[in-house]
Amino acid sequence: MSRLFVANRGEIAVRILSAAKSIGLETVLGASAADRNGLGAELADRVVVLGPAVPARSYLDENLTVQAAKSTGCDALHPGYGFLSERASLARLCESEGIVFVGPRAETIDALGDKLNARKLAGASDVPLLSGTPALHSVDDACADAEEIGYPVVIKASAGGGGRGMFLADCADDIRGGFTRASEEARAAFGSGLMYMERFIRNARHVEVQVFGDGNGKVVHFGERDCSVQRRYQKLIEESPCGILPEGSRLRLHEAAVKLASDLAYRNAGTVEFLYDSDTDEFYFIEVNARIQVEHPVTELVSDADLVALQLKVALGEPLGLTQSEIELQGHAIECRINAEDPDHDFRPAPGDITRWNPPNGDGIRLDTYCRAGERVSPYYDSMIGKLIIRGADREDAIGRLDRALGVFEIGGLRTNLALQQFVVQHPDFRNNAISTRWLEQTGLPAFAERQQEPHHGAH
Amino acid sequence: MEKRTFQDINTLIELFDNSDWRELSIEVEDFSLHLSRDEGAAGPAWQPSPVARERPQDTGAEAPPTAAEGAAVGERADSGDLDGLTVVRAPNLGLFYRSPKPGAPPYVQIGEEVGEDTEVCLIEVMKLFTPVVAGVNGILRRICVEDGDLVEFDQPLFYVEPQS
Repeated sequence: MSRLFVANRGEIAVRILSAAKSIGLETVLGASAADRNGLGAELADRVVVLGPAVPARSYLDENLTVQAAKSTGCDALHPGYGFLSERASLARLCESEGIVFVGPRAETIDALGDKLNARKLAGASDVPLLSGTPALHSVDDACADAEEIGYPVVIKASAGGGGRGMFLADCADDIRGGFTRASEEARAAFGSGLMYMERFIRNARHVEVQVFGDGNGKVVHFGERDCSVQRRYQKLIEESPCGILPEGSRLRLHEAAVKLASDLAYRNAGTVEFLYDSDTDEFYFIEVNARIQVEHPVTELVSDADLVALQLKVALGEPLGLTQSEIELQGHAIECRINAEDPDHDFRPAPGDITRWNPPNGDGIRLDTYCRAGERVSPYYDSMIGKLIIRGADREDAIGRLDRALGVFEIGGLRTNLALQQFVVQHPDFRNNAISTRWLEQTGLPAFAERQQEPHHGAH
Repeated sequence: MEKRTFQDINTLIELFDNSDWRELSIEVEDFSLHLSRDEGAAGPAWQPSPVARERPQDTGAEAPPTAAEGAAVGERADSGDLDGLTVVRAPNLGLFYRSPKPGAPPYVQIGEEVGEDTEVCLIEVMKLFTPVVAGVNGILRRICVEDGDLVEFDQPLFYVEPQS
């Protein structure tokens, strides 16, 4: 019998613990003091308190984490997402202590964590790349390169990812104004201020492919997700499949993701992210996320797979028995991230005590959460308190169900983005699938702010 | 003030919970209570705890105890004779060692005097050994953990009888 250490918190800790139980594993949760009495702590066979609430002294300390896993007799460790999940050093530390790291090999995490290197690897696997540059050495270099590529351009941190240390430049002045600050920001956040540049696409969709590898070159995919509803590069709504992709493009997208992962002999679950240019029907590589992602449930609902259980089984030595033809994708799933934040006040985080928690339920409704009435949402962590995921026969059906589910979801005691999520889901642009990654910021949020001023608007 | 019961304290906590107060401090004779909504502010560090609470002890690589077992261990430690003693707690999770190195005599023994800066044990995290200091002047009255045990953050390690 194996014993799994869960090195995370919140809904993903609950998700991993449930999956581990479903396949008969013993579980130990490494929690901070703030989480010692949470739902995750109740589900785990054992809880050990690593340190105080502040993440640097608990969830972000890989030595504490591995010491805890070792001393509680665990033989595997699941890092979840965020926190230590994409630190190659954690994977190495686990390996040196004889603990199975549920995720890719350390060298894969390293190779993909360097975004310039990831770009190189994708190019070598014939995955389409946006025209771009190698590392930029100066502001003048950057301006010269931008002239050649053509404005607007996106300038990114090579050690970054997920939008951090990234900015859009429409002209040389934008580069001169933003380059040094972004580079310093990246150095502070990621330890490297190395920047590079890519062409910017105006009408882009964020489309990503869920892949899964056995570590020996066999890779299957579970279709794609469209995560174009974003604010400051943070996803708010994700769905599967991507409704606007022509069939041929969809196949090429899947093939590109599988080819890249296969060339890397990718192990365990991963996501290959692309930008899709809906004007030209072309897609381009962004990055690979070497972990399970927040939005994995939409894939699970259309594929009927338990990706987290699969992660655990394959990590613990079961062969990846699935073949591509056995993975059938059916219906349409949409996920809304429910955050404790105030969309009327610049998305200010709104931690506090949940006094009322009445989630929707019914056919095709899934809620991944660590919350319930009486739960305290800590100011120390991410504001996401749950994910509402709906499955429908098709996109229209899923949207209708999601709209109704959002409408009856009652959360009391703190501010949430429920009303904004429902507003987006009801918006004609979303319903018509006529959005881009900048739609929420440029159209959705201004419209939401207008609507708030109407006296008859029934916010709950 | 008469003898405070658990019920009285509960009532105070309820009162605080239902109020919009950020903090509540009560000090009567030998009894003091500090309630705060701010997680970071647990009052001054190393204050005497009127009620000593201990969490389940860790048992190395044995099977995880069930929730019920854990609760039982916790309650057993709530013994009255620890009233008025100051708890020295683990600053983080790690392995507890009473001696500076294997075979060496322990840092401290029961009945010995400790000062605020007296090192009382080591906590090991992945081969990194960090000394823990008593944080209070007094006499060491109780050692709660076996040498080499895993301790969790905030777990009581020692009880010290404060001396002024």
